[in-house]
Amino acid sequence: MIQLQGVSKVYRVGPVKVTALADVSLEIEKGEFTVLAGPSGSGKTTLLRLLYRDEVPTEGEIRVAGFDVTGMRRSRIPHLRRAVGVVFQDAKLLPARNVYDNVAFVLRVLGTPRREITPRVMQTLKAVGLSARAQALPAQISQGEQQRAALARALVKEPALLLADEPTGNLDEAMADEILYLLSDIWNRGTTILLATHRATLADQLKRRTLVLDGGRLLKDED
Amino acid sequence: MLFFLIGEALRDLRRGGRVAVSAVLLIMLSLTALGAFWVLSLNLGRALVQWRDRFRVVVYLREEPPAGQVEGLLEKIEGVGGIQRLRYVSKGQALQALRRQIGGQASVVAELPANPLPASVEVTPAAEAMTPEGTRALIQRLSALAEVEEVQGGTAWVEWLAQFQGLLQAIGLSLGAVLALAAILTATTATTLVLHARREEMEIMRLVGASEMVIRLPLLLQGLIQGFVGALMAVGGLYLAFRLALPTLEPLLSVTLGLPGAAFFAPAEIAVLVGGGSLLGGLGGLRAKGEKPA
Ligand SMILES: Nc1ncnc2c1ncn2[C@@H]1O[C@H](COP(=O)(O)OP(=O)(O)OP(=O)(O)O)[C@@H](O)[C@H]1O
Ligand SMILES: [Mg+2]
Repeated sequence: MIQLQGVSKVYRVGPVKVTALADVSLEIEKGEFTVLAGPSGSGKTTLLRLLYRDEVPTEGEIRVAGFDVTGMRRSRIPHLRRAVGVVFQDAKLLPARNVYDNVAFVLRVLGTPRREITPRVMQTLKAVGLSARAQALPAQISQGEQQRAALARALVKEPALLLADEPTGNLDEAMADEILYLLSDIWNRGTTILLATHRATLADQLKRRTLVLDGGRLLKDED
Repeated sequence: MLFFLIGEALRDLRRGGRVAVSAVLLIMLSLTALGAFWVLSLNLGRALVQWRDRFRVVVYLREEPPAGQVEGLLEKIEGVGGIQRLRYVSKGQALQALRRQIGGQASVVAELPANPLPASVEVTPAAEAMTPEGTRALIQRLSALAEVEEVQGGTAWVEWLAQFQGLLQAIGLSLGAVLALAAILTATTATTLVLHARREEMEIMRLVGASEMVIRLPLLLQGLIQGFVGALMAVGGLYLAFRLALPTLEPLLSVTLGLPGAAFFAPAEIAVLVGGGSLLGGLGGLRAKGEKPA
């Protein structure tokens, strides 16, 4: 599902060069649940952004879900993005639209036939336990619920791969556990998951394959 | 999908608020100015056609030819070229016409010892000779004929009118162009502002894999809508002004220009205006710079 070969990423900020990733190679199979761990600033977010081509690597080759991410034409990027769902630390919901419309928005911009939209949105909201809050605005629901709405938005297009960048970062422990439970649930239904977190305890608690980044280098790759 | 995109465009227009309204107003203003000059020039053009049609060169004859020679004389005159039509007016006919014209004072005419009016030929120049130079040349050729005493027919005013129409068109076009440019810029500004309000939406759209076309289409659509509404308002306003001014304008027109009535745009011309307005707005919308796709 994911292959990186000798990937480096150097950000240039004026004259200063920041090496966010250095010679990273790894492989993640279809159907895996992998944790990407490492301290703050170790390059986790950068790695995820390379995977959905929000950034291009300075060096190396990347393949994701059958796409040659590094060599692809710009016009192909939307196709890659349709195969990859992304959630962030903040839910990034559209504040003026209710939960239902935030999720339906994705299907609308992707040109899904109208009659398919409502059943698919409701089914996805049910899967994340938000059916009852479909008509609520983002400001009217808890942060945990907002994060679940963001998950629904990432999942409604049925991506093969879900990238989660600190999805529990803003949540208290109980709500974080709910999201992690939900991720396991999504994984059980066949979605490949890559979860980035700087909390070592979380990585331990999940008991999954864990990739550890430090200073842009891949330190450990353990099951 | 299209309904959704139009809905998004309308949603953005509402968010654009005052700037969107001023874009619509500017497009309206530019098209009103353009349209007003167009209507004026349209009517002037009609007057010009009519006047040209009524334009005559009058050839006064030294002597009234005997009835049997009129035909031959007319053929000779027609032989100089550049003539569309001609009509012979005998001394008697000229006197009758004069009587009709002075009406009540007909007794004055009756007291004349002899008919003082010359026989003449009214010449309508051919369309291709209807230029000021063409008419001048025709008059010269006619004057050269032995039977001809004098030729009357000025061309100065035709020339003047044609120049005036050209000037009117030039003013209308340049004013319209300047205003159109301003309208495009305002539509761009309106769309750019909307773009900022829309940043979150566009970010999400790119993130989930919407095509660039789908991302940009609402911008084009809202520009088009602004232009369309502005153009409709301009045409509506012009028509209203036209109807209001008509009662005072029409007698004036018939006296000065000899036109029976004033004309408004034909449907095709309205379509051109509305289409042009939509194009202005659409251009403005397309010019708005979004964030670069990643
Ligand atoms: N757009 C950017 N421009 C310049 N430098 C950047 C940019 N993004 C990240 N960096 C730098 O690259 C390095 C890795 O950043 P990254 O965000 O990938 O770390 P991270 O592991 O996600 O950290 P955190 O756990 O705090 O989210 C950091 O030193 C960061 O300052
Ligand atoms: Mg990060």
